[in-house]
Amino acid sequence: MQIIDRQKVNHEIECLREKYGQDRSALIPILQELQEIYGYLPYIVMQETAHSLGIHPSEVEGVASFYSFLRTKEKQGKYVIRLCQTISCNLAKKVNVARQFENELGIKFGQTTNDGMFTLEYTNCLGMCDQGPALMINDRLFSKVTPEKASAIIADCRRDFLKSEFPKVVPSDVQKSGPILNHGLQPSESLKTALTMSRSAIISIIRESNLKGRGGAGFPTSIKWQLAGAAIDDKKYVVCNADEGEPGTFKDRYLLYDHIEIMLDGMAIAAYAIGAQKGFIYLRGEYKYMKKYLEEKIENRRKTNLLGKDILGKDKFNFDIEIRMGAGAYVCGEETALIESLEGYRGEPRNRPPFPVDTGFQKHPTIVNNVETFIDAAIIISKGAKWFLEHGTARSSGTKIFSVSGNCERPGIYELPFGIMISQLLKEVGGENAKAVQVGGASGKCLARKDFNRSIAFEDIASGGSIIVFGPDTDMLAVAKNFMEFFVEESCGQCTPCREGNVKLLDGIEKLEKGICSVTYLNELMKLDETIQLASKCGLGQSSPNAFLSIMENFKSEILGRVPEIN
Amino acid sequence: MELEKLDTEQTLSRAPKSTTTSTMKTPENMESIGALIKITIDGIDVKVPMGTTILQAARSIGIRIPTLCYHEDLCISGVCRICVVEIEGQRTLQSSCSYPISQPLVIHTHTRKVRQARRHILDLLLSKHYGECYTCVCNNNCELQELAREYGVDFYRFGHVDKPTYGRDNSSYAIIRDMDKCILCRRCVRTCIDLQEVGVYEAFNRGTETHIGTFMENPMAEQICINCGQCINRCPTGALHANDPSDAIWAAIDDPTKHVVIQTAPAPRSAICECFGLEPGIPLTREMNTAMRYCGFDKVFDTNFAADLTILEEGTELIKRLYKSLVTKEQVALPQFTSCSPGWVKYIEHFYPEMLDHVSSAKSPQQMFGAVIKTYYAKMYNIDPADIVTVALMPCTAKKFECNRPEMNDSGFKDIDYGLTTRELAQMFKEAGIDLPNMAKSEFDDPFGEETGSGVIFGATGGVMESAIRTVYDLVTGEKIEDLFEKANVIPVRGFEGIKYAELPITKVGPVPEILAHLIPNWDWLKGVTLKVAVAHGTANAKKILENIKAGGKFSECQFIEFMACPGGCLGGGGMPIPTDEKIRAARAKAIYMEDERSSVRKSYENPAILRIYKEFLTDGPCGHLSHHLLHTSYTPRGKNLI
Repeated sequence: MQIIDRQKVNHEIECLREKYGQDRSALIPILQELQEIYGYLPYIVMQETAHSLGIHPSEVEGVASFYSFLRTKEKQGKYVIRLCQTISCNLAKKVNVARQFENELGIKFGQTTNDGMFTLEYTNCLGMCDQGPALMINDRLFSKVTPEKASAIIADCRRDFLKSEFPKVVPSDVQKSGPILNHGLQPSESLKTALTMSRSAIISIIRESNLKGRGGAGFPTSIKWQLAGAAIDDKKYVVCNADEGEPGTFKDRYLLYDHIEIMLDGMAIAAYAIGAQKGFIYLRGEYKYMKKYLEEKIENRRKTNLLGKDILGKDKFNFDIEIRMGAGAYVCGEETALIESLEGYRGEPRNRPPFPVDTGFQKHPTIVNNVETFIDAAIIISKGAKWFLEHGTARSSGTKIFSVSGNCERPGIYELPFGIMISQLLKEVGGENAKAVQVGGASGKCLARKDFNRSIAFEDIASGGSIIVFGPDTDMLAVAKNFMEFFVEESCGQCTPCREGNVKLLDGIEKLEKGICSVTYLNELMKLDETIQLASKCGLGQSSPNAFLSIMENFKSEILGRVPEIN
Repeated sequence: MELEKLDTEQTLSRAPKSTTTSTMKTPENMESIGALIKITIDGIDVKVPMGTTILQAARSIGIRIPTLCYHEDLCISGVCRICVVEIEGQRTLQSSCSYPISQPLVIHTHTRKVRQARRHILDLLLSKHYGECYTCVCNNNCELQELAREYGVDFYRFGHVDKPTYGRDNSSYAIIRDMDKCILCRRCVRTCIDLQEVGVYEAFNRGTETHIGTFMENPMAEQICINCGQCINRCPTGALHANDPSDAIWAAIDDPTKHVVIQTAPAPRSAICECFGLEPGIPLTREMNTAMRYCGFDKVFDTNFAADLTILEEGTELIKRLYKSLVTKEQVALPQFTSCSPGWVKYIEHFYPEMLDHVSSAKSPQQMFGAVIKTYYAKMYNIDPADIVTVALMPCTAKKFECNRPEMNDSGFKDIDYGLTTRELAQMFKEAGIDLPNMAKSEFDDPFGEETGSGVIFGATGGVMESAIRTVYDLVTGEKIEDLFEKANVIPVRGFEGIKYAELPITKVGPVPEILAHLIPNWDWLKGVTLKVAVAHGTANAKKILENIKAGGKFSECQFIEFMACPGGCLGGGGMPIPTDEKIRAARAKAIYMEDERSSVRKSYENPAILRIYKEFLTDGPCGHLSHHLLHTSYTPRGKNLI
């Protein structure tokens, strides 16, 4: 039992408040740092944090218990092994690796070894889908783990000599690049161009380019910028949504690493266009290894007056960027949940309207855009709207960066124009014999061969960039089950349809596995799908049954004709 | 005399919010362009001010939309989704409680999609709602049950749990939590964090693991809980309810060796009618007296006696403090805070223990009465106090905790044996087959049966202050308060503003009345002093005042402040009939002030029973030796950490 000195805790909290701010928005970073000190969040730490911020201890525990990477209960092992349980890693035979770890350590997942050395846990998508099975040990990332490698990793840990597999460079396998990835722009080049223009001119160019949000929802970027720009407030915020949590997505990890300069240009341009003084990069907890690298880049920009006061000599254009770490909650990719999280609350989506563009971070106008959107915007400012319109379709301009994983020959990152047919894409990635393709991650749709002539575009099949290829031998019910398990865990739990509905869908899948789900009940579940889509509070909830629904529709005979599993 | 009200919202900071939803501000001037927006709901055109929610708009034209997580007293949450409606041109359904109208909309409230969604939501909630309605304290007064009936739920579409997941937490004297009945509407969370600023509950975990938890999942008895029971009043199901002592009370009634005495607080009489299907605001005081005797209580007393006693004791204490401060220049804590509300007392013990010396040492009326019954009354009627069982009918759940405080035994016995709420008494009546509204009327029993207006108004926020002003003004100036306020109705301290403030300059003084002659030589030192008083109800408002005092603000100059833990005062107490909202509380207040006007005695110092007890029993007067022993108490600095 650890003996904790309240005074010492208090002193630590005071120091952290100096660093992160005096109000509640400092809560999550403070908890993250305190957890590093204590290994978890003992009740004394939560109490003192609460008193210091003028909130209640139950509120701190409520926040801490919401995020997977914050722990309120027992202390974890010195090495916390988090194995990705999402579909792409499953397809890469994660189960063998999991067995190996369990045998090696003599514990099950969710447990800690008696000597306090190891904790085994499952986690959701680590963004290494093209290189699975992937796992994280504390802050370090390991990919393409085999059972043999698992043994070696354990041995290294036991010697306290865990070599980081990727000491500096984040691996990324760009299989095909296009006009965006080959932009050829120098750092700050597009920002300089932007600063020669008026604010309204920038928004006009973005409007002409017809740029739509790259996160998947496809909301026109110019409208967000215009509304936030028109809002009257002395504080406005620009937020980069780098909480890439959609299973099968890893393009932002690559973009943040290799194209960070143009991304930062994009954020600064947005800030200039709407009149914001402060920006946040909300980086998902799983990408913590990148934080230092990104902070160096930001610091360099401060030194060269690309951030800070009167940027590049532009009078009264003040803008700075802070990185805030997510703490393991998929739902924080939803923009209002992300803002709640930034404010130090549980990452629960807000009611909309009002929208973040007028009531965002701490009630000030806020734009939240995806990493790729900022990059596209910056390039558009340099190269013009027309150039952008040359790519893609009439309603979906430009290209899209795809993260391809699953049963294909060449998984990795692809830049392809909007409007590309699924069959073309499969040819590109070496997955022509696919039985099905999941477009848009867990919240997207599962397409069967009959749909392979459809195209990826906002007007047909929208996608945030995740493509998971399922080979001919894939058990589609198992795929549906994996996705539903994901949502049951990742639903924020506030609204009834998503919280309870997805549990019923998962329960239905388990019934189907056993062969005890009647067709009547299955039809009732399909109707429940509609309710979840229509009545859930946020986009996550509304799209949570998509995978289930499309798999049931497309593979009904396969699923109903299964030989039931015997318990 | 000058009485002013204070705009507290501007001068004091807002309470933190548990759910940072914000809706649009409605325009100030309805004449301005765009201030009114035309919408169509189910084919009916209506113009509403911009920012009105769809739910409000629908209600304004008599269209019913079901709700669960919505509560008028609380901020909007929009989580249950039962109130969804279809808006033309929108892909998804929208929750009507949270949707502010900012443009013309065509809304449908009962399309196929809406009906299906509502039914599914009910089915989903029921699939996890453990327990049977027969064995539920909320049977027939449950919002979930009512909706299930309304939507014709005749089978469990998505199954039903047959085993409890959490089990009951019976640890608290006041509040029982039965989380297996929780539907996660989070009203209790919003009540406890926003309305009361106590923060016992919060949503923990996420996804399917989400539940309403307490800090470290410790039982209620080990939480920083003030027992106010506001969460109970706002729980739509039976997941939260009060710790009911009625079985033990029946047992005492059935025991021929026990002399069972009940005292009835002012607030319950204004509200018990609601438990018998009547409109709020019909006082059934005398019917209740008959009914209680019918149940078998040996004596039925009026807590008003003890309320008047409180005014004498607390008022005298205030005069002593002022005398020390102004004349003998001793260090005393001012302003003096009232101590009638046990929820408030526990609040300050936890959150502002350093300010406990401001709290009057006078016990609450309930506890004073208990001590008097087991001493004075027992002696007077020659009953062994060991055989007396004292029951207190209260609007309050915190009273259950208060009567179990270990220090509350100055009579040599437990001063009050059981705290019974309005709801629980109504239940006892029903069990005894009593149809309360049709009961014959009868008076309270002597010797504590005088119905006094000064006591009855304790039931509403500002009542203690009004009563104190009536007595103090008369005693100090030798004149009548009626000269200042028609019918002695001290209007400025009435009403439901969160914080009320008033000033009362003392321009002339009279002779010192006999009852206080042992304490002070004359009133001259009060001449020219302006009495500044404030009233707060709901502990979030209390917090604002305490913070203001700590910062040396306006309220630090007050001499006397009334605090009530519950919004509206006792009439909004945690033991009062459910539901509660502002309209219902206003109706109860009206009933209370009606009873006040009806009373022949409306000033505490004129209550003959009070004069008698100081003459016969507490012979060394208010704040004298015996009253200090029996009627005063001390407090425990509890602090913000229990573990």
